[in-house]
Amino acid sequence: MGTSYAPIVVLVVLIAASVWLGTLAQRAMRSASFLKGYFLGNRGLGVWALALTATVQSGGTFMGFPSLVYKNGWVVALWIAGYMVVPIMSFAVLGKRLAQLSRRTGALTLPDFLRERYRSPAAGLIASIFIVIFLTVFLFAQFKAGGTIMQIALPGSADVALADQPAGGVGEDYRRGLAIFTASVVLYTLIGGFLGAVWTDLLQSVLMLIGVVILFFLVLSASGGPEAATLKGIEQVGLDYAYPPGPIGKAGPYLPLGMAAGFFIFWNFAGMGVPASVVRVMACKNTSSIRRSIVMLGVYNALIYIPLIVISICGRSLFPSLTATDEIIPRLALSTGGPLVGGIILAAPFGAVMATVSTFLVVIASGVVRDIYQRFIDAHAPERRLKWISRGTIFAAGAVSVAFTINPVENLQTYIVLGGGLAAGSFLIPVAMGLYWRRATGWGAVASMVFGAGAVALFELIPSIRLGLHPFTWSLIASLAAGLVVSLLTAPPPAEHVSTLFDAPVEPALR
Amino acid sequence: MAAPSEDPLLRSARREAVAALLVFVLALLVTLTVSYLAGYLHPRETPSFILGFPAWVFWGVICPWAGLIVFGAWFAYRYMKDEDLGRDEDGPDGD
Repeated sequence: MGTSYAPIVVLVVLIAASVWLGTLAQRAMRSASFLKGYFLGNRGLGVWALALTATVQSGGTFMGFPSLVYKNGWVVALWIAGYMVVPIMSFAVLGKRLAQLSRRTGALTLPDFLRERYRSPAAGLIASIFIVIFLTVFLFAQFKAGGTIMQIALPGSADVALADQPAGGVGEDYRRGLAIFTASVVLYTLIGGFLGAVWTDLLQSVLMLIGVVILFFLVLSASGGPEAATLKGIEQVGLDYAYPPGPIGKAGPYLPLGMAAGFFIFWNFAGMGVPASVVRVMACKNTSSIRRSIVMLGVYNALIYIPLIVISICGRSLFPSLTATDEIIPRLALSTGGPLVGGIILAAPFGAVMATVSTFLVVIASGVVRDIYQRFIDAHAPERRLKWISRGTIFAAGAVSVAFTINPVENLQTYIVLGGGLAAGSFLIPVAMGLYWRRATGWGAVASMVFGAGAVALFELIPSIRLGLHPFTWSLIASLAAGLVVSLLTAPPPAEHVSTLFDAPVEPALR
Repeated sequence: MAAPSEDPLLRSARREAVAALLVFVLALLVTLTVSYLAGYLHPRETPSFILGFPAWVFWGVICPWAGLIVFGAWFAYRYMKDEDLGRDEDGPDGD
């Protein structure tokens, strides 16, 4: 069993299906211009694609998050509770208006939108630079997750999983896993662009749900249920395993009430503000897709996150002394499902990681091509050259991420929260101001981005000045204050430009 | 010449955004208050369970989550309006 090829075969089938979808997406894009097709899928996302792909599920969902539950117990249910409002917030606050204004301005990317809304090249340039940097940080964690899953799926690694030994090191298996993962995800992203990423994301979202449901019942049966598992966890960790604020570490209790509020805010506002989510809303087909996505995503989130909490609590009773806790879900999959079913379940976290990486690679490529090369180097570059630059950027971003994850980061979730916080802290307020406030100016947007990102970095680096609040909460306050003050101190935007964005279009008197 | 009127989509989007933010605040208050009273302040003893969840998780997280799924369906199908997003303008570079 330990040398079974079944898990790796299942993952290879998933990779092959993803590459195939990439080629289908490439054909589907042929009717449009390269940029609108490759970076925005011709604004054709329906309810399935929008609901199940425009969110923040990633390697963290299946590796970092279960690891937190494993270590800290039930308090992590409160840590993630903000997801209950994410569907309504993600689609009802910015959705319709963003979809409308991105069409009215012809924007294909987030920096495009900021530049055209504010008539500010500076806002566009800063957004492009921030996107490339912050999303690359986020990608490091995803590449580690992808390499780790591949490592566990490789023949021979299941021995380690079943023996409950730490295998989180950087051995030859991890490097081989990382190489296979990187080659496959970069390949299908190169081929399919945005639409390829969306379609494979959709396939993988469905796989995630199937994987979680199967694993839920397998682990429930193997562990005797969450109640028995909780009591075992209490024996190991103490009663704090079952109650908030959770176990007490070096920095104090895991989740003081202020931090619980901070994470509730973080999941919702970060979910709205990260560039990958913004771009998907810009790419939606119509308002009906936006509305129905609220319902579909609400059900989907509940079916993913609540079972994952139960699975991870039960998982601790089955693997009580795991040191590489990021690996709890892959190990449970292989130990309770056997090689074949385990491989199918393993496809869920692997799919989540692949989907995130491909989406972010496209966003990074669009930032470089559309917002840097076209704006500042050659506005009239032929389509053929833009294609090569897009693909070169995707390849380079993949190579940089691999270089930084050959010796992987230790705590996956830390990088995910940091990268997501930096990106959302920079963009949410300038986008929201641009949608709803006529008086917002380009310099206000620039200040808002700089102060938002700066506050995340400052409060992450110096925890003692947080006053009990989450760094992202400080970031929102700083970004909003800077945006408001600087907008009011600078010259108002031209009335005619604002009118085209905020007033009803004037129909010609005669046709 | 009459002053141009505000875009109707902007009006409905603003109304829906405000409603969503109010729901967010309400969910935040309910979840934190229940979790605080039933979890943070609860004496440290073997917890009671409801459907396999510690009682504070069931009342503070699971119940509000279930309620929001039902509310989300009403919000999406009854409260939000469908509107024309307008035509896709050519980008500044003619894309």
